Amino acid sequence: MNTLFALIALMIFPGGLFVLFAGLVYEWADRKLVAQFQNRIGPRVFQPLADVIKLLAKEEVVPVGVNGFLFMALPIAALAATLTAALYVPVVGLAPAYSFRGDLIVTIYLLSVLTLCIGVAGANTADRFSLIGATRTLTQVFSYEAPFMLAMLGPAIMAGSWQISEINAYAASKPWLIIPQVIGFLVALVGLMGKLELPPFDAPEAETEIVAGAMTEYSGRGYAIFRIAKDVELVIGLTLVAAFYLGGIGNPLEFLLKTVVLLLVTAGLQSLFARLRIDQTVGMWWRVGALLALLNLLVLVGLRMLGWLGVWL
Amino acid sequence: MKIGALLGDVFRSLFKPPATERYPVEKKPAPMRLRGKLVYDSSKCTGCQLCAKDCPCDAIEIITIDRAAKRFIMRYRVDRCTFCAQCVESCRFGCLDLSNEEWELASVQKDPFTLTFGSEADLEAFLAKTTGAQPEAETKP
Amino acid sequence: MEKSEPKKFVVPIGPQHPALKEPGHFEFEVDGEIVTGATARFGYVHRGIEKGAETRSWIQAMYLLERVCGICSHVHATAFALGAEKLAKVTVPPRAQAIRVLVGELERLHSHMLWLGVAVHEAGFDTLFMYSWRDREIVMDLLEGLTGNRVNYSANVLGGVKIDVDDKQRDDILKGLEVLEQRAQYYLKVVTTDETFLGRTRGIGTMTYEQAELLGAVGPTGRASGVKRDVRVEAPYAAYPDFPVNLITDTRGDLEARFVVRIKELFEAIRIIREILDKMPTGEIQTKMPRRVPEGETISRVEAPRGELLYYIRSAGGDKPDRVKVRTPSLCNWGSVLTTAVGHKLADMPMILSGIDPCFSCNDRAAIIRRPDQPAQAWDWESLRLHGIEYYKR
Ligand code: SF4
Ligand code: SF4
Repeated sequence: MNTLFALIALMIFPGGLFVLFAGLVYEWADRKLVAQFQNRIGPRVFQPLADVIKLLAKEEVVPVGVNGFLFMALPIAALAATLTAALYVPVVGLAPAYSFRGDLIVTIYLLSVLTLCIGVAGANTADRFSLIGATRTLTQVFSYEAPFMLAMLGPAIMAGSWQISEINAYAASKPWLIIPQVIGFLVALVGLMGKLELPPFDAPEAETEIVAGAMTEYSGRGYAIFRIAKDVELVIGLTLVAAFYLGGIGNPLEFLLKTVVLLLVTAGLQSLFARLRIDQTVGMWWRVGALLALLNLLVLVGLRMLGWLGVWL
Repeated sequence: MKIGALLGDVFRSLFKPPATERYPVEKKPAPMRLRGKLVYDSSKCTGCQLCAKDCPCDAIEIITIDRAAKRFIMRYRVDRCTFCAQCVESCRFGCLDLSNEEWELASVQKDPFTLTFGSEADLEAFLAKTTGAQPEAETKP
Repeated sequence: MEKSEPKKFVVPIGPQHPALKEPGHFEFEVDGEIVTGATARFGYVHRGIEKGAETRSWIQAMYLLERVCGICSHVHATAFALGAEKLAKVTVPPRAQAIRVLVGELERLHSHMLWLGVAVHEAGFDTLFMYSWRDREIVMDLLEGLTGNRVNYSANVLGGVKIDVDDKQRDDILKGLEVLEQRAQYYLKVVTTDETFLGRTRGIGTMTYEQAELLGAVGPTGRASGVKRDVRVEAPYAAYPDFPVNLITDTRGDLEARFVVRIKELFEAIRIIREILDKMPTGEIQTKMPRRVPEGETISRVEAPRGELLYYIRSAGGDKPDRVKVRTPSLCNWGSVLTTAVGHKLADMPMILSGIDPCFSCNDRAAIIRRPDQPAQAWDWESLRLHGIEYYKR
């Protein structure tokens, strides 16, 4: 019985297939919203699925000069990591499938695996665009990862727990955490965009310079899997931010509303800016992002120690 | 000096319908002067061949059926035409015009691109001639 | 990663690359993200147009030359028509000249807006790209309504123009310009105030006045570096003597200055169009042009959206041109790209490349080298064509 439940949780719901499709739907929503912001029509709802099916059906070209095993394994590792992360997150507002003390840290690390896989995948090929893309991807990881983590720790510190479900419950029982921690919220949201390499942080895959960056050599299945992994990460990221800052997620409706609002904001941010050069991205994160997040955290810790957090205690 | 100077427009677009034209589904009326397929009025034609001579793309061929009776037909290659309207300018008798109604001229076959204009009797005469002994030599004026 | 390479790390861009809408090949030597050297190679889209013009009648050649560029097609036809008319000693009626200028300035509007979109797209600013191309539709529609075609308008005939401007068109154009002017104001505001975008343009690809003069930069690229050069001002042609143009220059020479110069040229074009519509000369729009052009040679210069366009035309007295030589503005500006690229980041390359509003296909020429031990070769259209076919079979 237990194994059956575990299998279902892993393969179908809430992990596995379900998040895959949720990811595709969110990708569609994101593209559609950006299109709307740009005064275009945008793709139809089946477009991401159609893209994935097409890619899966395509021939997978393994270029000369790569480690074939790594080339094949990296996308799978990336997808596996994001799917695992999905198990610890209250997707659709249900309690996470698995939960333990400190799963927040594990989840954050699992979310980084995708980016690392992409970076390594780029470095694995001999293609110059991929190499530059990989360098940029990995550079970017170091810039947003720390602020993102700090921003995620803010609510954790307030809740006094490192367990996602507990933080979620805490956030739901108190006024929205975005009120005391606007900075943390912004850093988390923008950090999520950086993680997903959405514009304006798309320098690692800036098509006008380096084609598709680290993924240039990927075609067919590998590329499809990377894309799905990214979509899943989008869902997880949105869920986390919504759960932590927007008053928790208790039921599917809340989940839908809150994540869509977040998506609206990220889509708006995506359409507002010109692409940042990689040096500008790094500069921005370290000069502004990291400092703000750190400040946010320090203030929180101080307030907590002094017991001045009022209703949020 | 500010960040997100486009904010106003981006926000407004959220409530605007997309600017994209849904072309094959909804068609805008073509402007009066749009240059589409060539139209030929054989009754006015004098067979002067100026249109064929000036066409930069060799898209027009005027075939004489009977010079004395001023019977001509025109063979027009839509696939070559660039819709420059030089033929319309060159014709002093106003036989030619570019239609603003027929402009969706794409086709997956080559045959529909060759059009023959003229009165029915002339076309029949032409067909009779071309299926005769030496079709190629005869069609050359 | 690339630093561990003992050799120079060269990033090839093109001939097929998402940043290039036409084929060209660039090699950037990079050290990390910094570009240390740049070379360009062209010739992927040589079409033999100059040669082709020699085998066509004067009338047909004009339509062929109009197709040198798909964006600034009208200026090519105008340059050729002006030259041919000069050789034939034909005086074109003033109304026709005014309409030529009118279409030319509308074309400049569309070309500059197209460039704006492409250039901001290279910077990853896709929203502005979509907006500017959406608004470009207005001028495209105007051109379509006026001439009948959206590109390659074929407004010219030798000896005048084909199309007249009636009251309804006048009102349409004025109405369209109203919107365009507003939008251009807005774009000027965005590109000069948006901090993220300025980060990609301010101080990037700076070309000093001396460099610009040395490298022979033309058009808005040169004008952004303070080069006071515009054929419409220096040697007014067609109707420009009656509708003088104000020269727009900037002194900074960086990408931002090029944005500013081009957008300000939009206002100038709008002003000229309004003036022409207001004081349109009356009269004929065509005069008779002989089919044979008397012997002689001439140079015809016009200001294309990208800069000075020069035509050399020689007639041997026949019904075909004897020689047509085209010098397109993009050709003059490549030097500036390769010089200013060095020292910038790789990420700036697409911006610097597109900063001159490059057109690739109009650069390509074939040169035949004559060896001392060989007789001079004369190539005609047919042998050139066969050579092309053979060349690509290999
Ligand atoms: S429109 Fe131009 S290309 Fe077409 S048939 Fe007439 S002259 Fe030839
Ligand atoms: S120019 Fe006019 S009259 Fe002459 S052959 Fe052509 S259609 Fe007939």
